[in-house]
Amino acid sequence: MTVNSSRFGELEVPDEAVLDFPEGMIGVGGSRFALLTREENGAFKWLQEMTQEDLALPVTDPFQFFPDYEVVLSDEEAQRIGITDPAQADVLVVVRADEDPGQVSANLLAPILVAAGVGHQVLNEAGWAPLREPLLSGGRQEVAAG
Amino acid sequence: MLTISRRAGERILIGDGIVIEVVEVSGGSVRLGITAPKELRIYREELWERVKAENEAAARADFSAPAVPPDPA
Repeated sequence: MTVNSSRFGELEVPDEAVLDFPEGMIGVGGSRFALLTREENGAFKWLQEMTQEDLALPVTDPFQFFPDYEVVLSDEEAQRIGITDPAQADVLVVVRADEDPGQVSANLLAPILVAAGVGHQVLNEAGWAPLREPLLSGGRQEVAAG
Repeated sequence: MLTISRRAGERILIGDGIVIEVVEVSGGSVRLGITAPKELRIYREELWERVKAENEAAARADFSAPAVPPDPA
């Protein structure tokens, strides 16, 4: 399958790398995204929308950076997406790059769950789920009260 | 925008599938109970706005910055 990307140009992607996102990404839409690996064994991948060439989000495996990270879904959300246990899904988080490496952050509030070729960006109900956690912080500094 | 006055315990029906109930009115805040088809996503607006802004920023951010090694190709 061919996808045009304003970041990467024209790419050929295998069918199995294309994921359906029935509701798109929160606030920015999209419906099918190719999970692109740009570097073998690299920490980052990209979710490139198949028809919106300027919509590509860098993502990473949160557990590699934040071993204590947890995803907790509300019952409604779990039922809606058909994933009752986040452990059944692959978890990705969106990375926000920055010129200052210390400012590169991961969105732990709205992780992306992928199961059986279908992805959903969800709101994480866990007590520790910051919107912008520095990637290199190594995890929680303090446990949020309540 | 349609505005409707309701008291605690009263409901509003939207179409056939959505019911919004005023559960409690207290001080400056209102607790709402929402029943809707499960495929509908329901968000607090400010949370949705923050995630939207973060997704947009992530899609825009210059990833060739030294924070991440450039693509070897």
